Amino acid sequence: MNKHSLPALALAFAQIGLSSVGGAAAPIRHVLVVRRRWLTEAELAETFAIAQALPGASAANLAVILGDRFAGALGPFATVGGLSLPSLGVALVLVAAATHLSAANARFAAAEAGVSAAVAGLFVSNGVRLAWRLWHDAPALRRRWRGARLGISLAGVALVAGLHVFIPVVLVGLAATSFGIEFALRRRVAAT
Amino acid sequence: MSSDAVHALLPLVLRFGVISLFAIGGGTSSIIPLIHDVAVRELHWVDDRAFTELLAIAQAAPGPNYMLIPLIGWHVAGILGAVLSLAAFLILPVTIAFIAGRLLHRHDNATMATVRGAFRPVTAGMWVSSGIIIARTADKATVDVAITVLVVVLALRVELSPLWWCLGAGVLGALLA
Repeated sequence: MNKHSLPALALAFAQIGLSSVGGAAAPIRHVLVVRRRWLTEAELAETFAIAQALPGASAANLAVILGDRFAGALGPFATVGGLSLPSLGVALVLVAAATHLSAANARFAAAEAGVSAAVAGLFVSNGVRLAWRLWHDAPALRRRWRGARLGISLAGVALVAGLHVFIPVVLVGLAATSFGIEFALRRRVAAT
Repeated sequence: MSSDAVHALLPLVLRFGVISLFAIGGGTSSIIPLIHDVAVRELHWVDDRAFTELLAIAQAAPGPNYMLIPLIGWHVAGILGAVLSLAAFLILPVTIAFIAGRLLHRHDNATMATVRGAFRPVTAGMWVSSGIIIARTADKATVDVAITVLVVVLALRVELSPLWWCLGAGVLGALLA
């Protein structure tokens, strides 16, 4: 990977941040692979795999790893700063404007309620779509295994949204169970 | 800045610092229920309505998914709260990623894929839970219940940027008010 200057890195990641709506994956690819050609598709995929397997926001994790590779130890400050700060500025302006307007105008408050209702719907929809893929993306896999995966999702909904069990325990417990399932499945596949 | 705001900064930093480590599977969106639990139910940094509003703005505004964190920080303690919350939320995972990035120049792709695969069912459950938790606050009026149901059904069929769903719902909400 070639080296790049800190301002160039900050600018590229500011561009990524400001063009991210509903996830940074697409703008990251567009800015770094398509437009600037700083990375190949394969290099991006490999780095993303690490960033997503670690705790924390994957976009920030990716920004840190790439910042380090492009510009050394100071690179992450440019990339994470570029990714976060301009977007934070925009979000703060929007919050201030929304608070002001919804206090002054009932119609705007109703619009805001509509947006919140849509956000709720989007979360449910995205979750259901992901669960759907868990079932349908592996048609060759026995129903038992696919059912076990769906069981993890359903248990999550029941424990968190239904029963209000202490969430860190739910997350750790479900992730550990899911790891058990996936590694057992991998051994099973390797054995056959 | 009031002294209340100063006293609010330490818990913000500590809580967001710890919460960040539970964000598994690549996104802040998978721990919305956890953030809601801490910020609304346990520590009362924001009420349900403000949480829902901040989340809606974080989702609809351009920016990475973790913008909800500094927006809560801003609500509690102004601009300093925003910046410190963001820094606290990023510092631990980013440090881990920095070390991992230097160590993992050659890693086992199959293991990485298995790890990511294991997070997916958990993430699906947390997304649906987030939707239910938000709907409990957001869907007070009949119009809003209808919008949520409509978006669930339509967004499963048509993949659009969340921005368009939010804009459409905002216009619909305003017109029907």
